[in-house]
Amino acid sequence: MDAPVLRLEHLGKTYRSLKALDDVSLSIAPGEIFALLGPNGAGKTTLIGAVCGLVRKTTGKVWLFGTDTDVDPVTPRYQVGLVPQEVNFDPFFTVAESLRIQLGYYGKRADEARVREVLEAMQLSTRADAPTRALSGGMKRRLLIAKALVHRPRLVFLDEPTAGVDVELRQQLWAYVRKLREEGTTIVLTTHYLEEAEELADRVGIIDKGQLLLVENKTQLLEQMGERRLSVTFSTPVSTLPASAESFGARLESGGLRLTYSERHGRPPAHRLLAALYTAGLPVDSVEMERPRLEDVLLEVLRAPPSRERPSPPAMR
Amino acid sequence: MNAIGLRTLFQKEIRRFLRVPGQTVFSPLVSTVLYFVVFGSALSNRVGEIEGLPYVQFIVPGLVFLGIANNAFLNTSSSLFIVKLQGTVVDLLAAPMGPMEVLSGFIGGAMVRGLLVGGLTWAVGALLAHAPVAHPLLTLLVLFLSAYAFAMLGFLAGLWAEKFEQVNFWPTFIMLPLTFLGGVFYSVKALPGFWGKVSLLNPVVYMVDAVRFGMLGRSVMSP
Repeated sequence: MDAPVLRLEHLGKTYRSLKALDDVSLSIAPGEIFALLGPNGAGKTTLIGAVCGLVRKTTGKVWLFGTDTDVDPVTPRYQVGLVPQEVNFDPFFTVAESLRIQLGYYGKRADEARVREVLEAMQLSTRADAPTRALSGGMKRRLLIAKALVHRPRLVFLDEPTAGVDVELRQQLWAYVRKLREEGTTIVLTTHYLEEAEELADRVGIIDKGQLLLVENKTQLLEQMGERRLSVTFSTPVSTLPASAESFGARLESGGLRLTYSERHGRPPAHRLLAALYTAGLPVDSVEMERPRLEDVLLEVLRAPPSRERPSPPAMR
Repeated sequence: MNAIGLRTLFQKEIRRFLRVPGQTVFSPLVSTVLYFVVFGSALSNRVGEIEGLPYVQFIVPGLVFLGIANNAFLNTSSSLFIVKLQGTVVDLLAAPMGPMEVLSGFIGGAMVRGLLVGGLTWAVGALLAHAPVAHPLLTLLVLFLSAYAFAMLGFLAGLWAEKFEQVNFWPTFIMLPLTFLGGVFYSVKALPGFWGKVSLLNPVVYMVDAVRFGMLGRSVMSP
């Protein structure tokens, strides 16, 4: 693994008696898309705030691009972009002016070509000279993303970037996020749309009550903890399953017209069950297979968090 | 040091108040003209001279000071409160700018507004009261430092305020008494006993008097 873009060690944030972040350690590699998932109030935004300078951490260390932010909190921020969760806008300025101001804040001279490029990417070109208060909710959200990207950051935090954005635009944003990754940008994403994390993320972290419960490669996580649901419909009711199929632990439902089976790590693959059904000559009418979903994994982890003492490969965290 | 960041914030603060000139520049100017008309012209004949100066001239330095102090204060306090309220404070906190750059940007913008209103007030005073400037460099220095002091005070108020009511608390309960009891419209020497002594604890008295000395070459206190 290359030198991490972001490294957290035992990061903690306490508000009076509430532990918003509890001993969080994590490394983010250059060029990866990391999705931080968890319920409301889990600590996702606090974690991003502690890294970006919005929240004062109580304990622990943060390194951005190898720089200890306790020693130099400012220099690494030239390379960081942030899309905050809450929509904000400065009512005194237009869309294009907001981007020019943002460029200036990040020490960049006026760059009209870059402003136009980002406006185009966010489909805001026609609204460049509109006052920000005249934008719709979705447009304001896109302006936030444009502001976070206009100075070409190497690390971007997207805190709920597509909340309130319509489906078409969401897909376009996903495409743009992939393009950014291809250009070498590292992305840390929080989202309530787990489909978004499934689509984009290389690795997933699950956080709850301030504790980072799990960090895993998305594909491996889905393989290890995800369920592939098999649903078989019969043309005539089946009263009993043959022994070869029963041993899978599959269930008959709807008066024998339907069979369901959950394939998960450690259990026999669904295709063997299907083969057994066909071999036994059962009247299979249709077969549906659902891919494993992050939603199920998230719910399972939240219901029964893995032990924090469980050894975890250092490279994964 | 992020010089471009500082310049951007400074220019943004100036453009912000220039976007609403009626509220930020001309409204204070109208108040000042009214002060001249009501206190200066109407009362001038009754009051006569103070410290050897016609009353309408006597109040010019104080009104210039008032314009600077109020507007420098209001610019930082309201601008900072608005960025907190709108959430755009996140842009500043996450940007690669240290406290000095952020503070200087806000203070610089507020000083420009204060000095602009003060300058316009002086122009009105010069027109209505034929107020000369006896010591231009000293006057500029005192006005500059006054703008700085009240811009900083406004920044503190903006940092502290979490509600609209709290933003208005400072101008009403602190700025107004300090400036009205600061010898703008009268000589503090004319205040009797207790209030005369209390006035000497008011820093605004000395600021106004220093401006008066700079502009008119006379002061109530000994320079």
